[in-house]
Amino acid sequence: MIDYLLLEVRRTLRDVGFVIGGIAMPVMMYLLFTNIGEIDGGWKTASMVGMAAYGAVGSALNTGGGVAEDRAIGWLRQLRVTPMTPRQVVTGRALTGSVTVLPAIVVVLAAGGLVNGVRLAAWQWAAIALLLWLGSIPFTLLGLGNGYRLTAQTTGVANMVCNLGLAVVGGLWFPVALFPGWLRSVSAFTPTHRFAQLGTAVADGHAPTAGAILVLTAWLLAFGSYAVMSYRRYAGNI
Amino acid sequence: MTKTTGTPPAVSFTGAVKTYGTVRAVDGVDLRIARGETVALLGRNGAGKSTTISLLLGLIEPDAGTVELFGAPPERAVRAGRVGAMLQEARAVPRVTVSELVTFVAGRYPTPLPVAHALELAGIADLAGRRVDRLSGGQTQRVRFAVALAGNPSLIVLDEPTAALDVEARRAFWDSMRAYARRGHTVLFSTHYLEEADAHADRILVIDRGRIVADGTGEELRRSAGGNLVSFDLAGRGTEGLTLLPGVRSLEVRGDRALLRTDDSDATVIALADLGAIRGLEVAPASLDDAFLALTSRAMETV
Repeated sequence: MIDYLLLEVRRTLRDVGFVIGGIAMPVMMYLLFTNIGEIDGGWKTASMVGMAAYGAVGSALNTGGGVAEDRAIGWLRQLRVTPMTPRQVVTGRALTGSVTVLPAIVVVLAAGGLVNGVRLAAWQWAAIALLLWLGSIPFTLLGLGNGYRLTAQTTGVANMVCNLGLAVVGGLWFPVALFPGWLRSVSAFTPTHRFAQLGTAVADGHAPTAGAILVLTAWLLAFGSYAVMSYRRYAGNI
Repeated sequence: MTKTTGTPPAVSFTGAVKTYGTVRAVDGVDLRIARGETVALLGRNGAGKSTTISLLLGLIEPDAGTVELFGAPPERAVRAGRVGAMLQEARAVPRVTVSELVTFVAGRYPTPLPVAHALELAGIADLAGRRVDRLSGGQTQRVRFAVALAGNPSLIVLDEPTAALDVEARRAFWDSMRAYARRGHTVLFSTHYLEEADAHADRILVIDRGRIVADGTGEELRRSAGGNLVSFDLAGRGTEGLTLLPGVRSLEVRGDRALLRTDDSDATVIALADLGAIRGLEVAPASLDDAFLALTSRAMETV
């Protein structure tokens, strides 16, 4: 399974679309959004966490795009006639997702520290990276659910809608404080907002709130069930 | 043909049925393939070849009957690494090199071929470092062949391996396939090209409407379909009584010529001579095409 993980990580990193959309875009948007106009230091940190989260969400969803592509070209079917078990394949895919979210997180955090002069304690950097990494699991599951259920094209569209929609409403691009009140209450229930909160809480020097963990766990269960349902229903026909 | 003792056959179907809606794609197939045989599964498009292969590989389950590989359910044989397959409609895997891909697949099997050897057998040793998605159609096909044989499986299954290949690529492909078969492996390939089945298989299974309608060597199929074709110019005479002549199985009229399919061409020719119907007389062996058409049309009549 390690071999499969390595193969798929390598294939993902060679995907120009992934490197641009999943890694370069979040960094560029972060540098842009934090260097135009009057910016306070707090926003540089908050936006750093938001954009790292945005990149992680995109990369996590991208795993599903890979699954849909591999279904379409018959590669997953080919794997079914090798000694690999279906469980190894789907586990390998999920692990691929959790590895490929790392570049976006690391690169955006590095841009924060090196370019924008964000200063945090060493434990804070480590904790933010770790929490963003773990917190991206629900999004990998959402992507896998899409990838097993939808065609390659539809998966691409669905992932983009999920990514942009959840990023904007979740306040990864713009601070929620700018939202009208009703949107702010919606935002509080999005997985992306709560995902970013894991990081912003640590940046502010305290542990993530119970609310954030509760909402994110609910989404983990929902997306997890969706992935399992998609897999059970469609993987047999691969 | 059914062996009850000794080593189980490589492939064994017993009354296998697979239905899609009202279509019986595989309609009671019985077949045995011994180890070391090279067998062609011959049939037109939609005859049930791919469904048979999917059943064989355990990709789908039969609605009735059983399918076994090496005496075990297909899935177990696949997990044990005894099977390699080149599936239909598979496209190039993007963003990997030939050698990365073949190395990965070989690594899944307990006793794989050395990767360099697998590439050589498939005739793509010079493409090892190239990206799979940047190869030509013929090259991609050979990569897929290398993927099928990388694990050194006892049984290799090729679903229409030469579809969409040009003549040269096709010849190169069959050379590779034979080299692999010579190593003592069992090979099953499906095709709708008669010549390919005849030229490259020890045995041909003809499938039509989900049933095996003939099983034998090319020569046996030709014979079973009615050995020879006797033709002559009618020159204005009628065709009455021709089907009653000795040996004659069927009559067809093309333009002014009568074509008699006969089991005993000598007797038929003597009888025709008695009738004085010998203008432009020709005796020719039935081609495999004729045999195939005879076999599959007969099957159609019984439906």
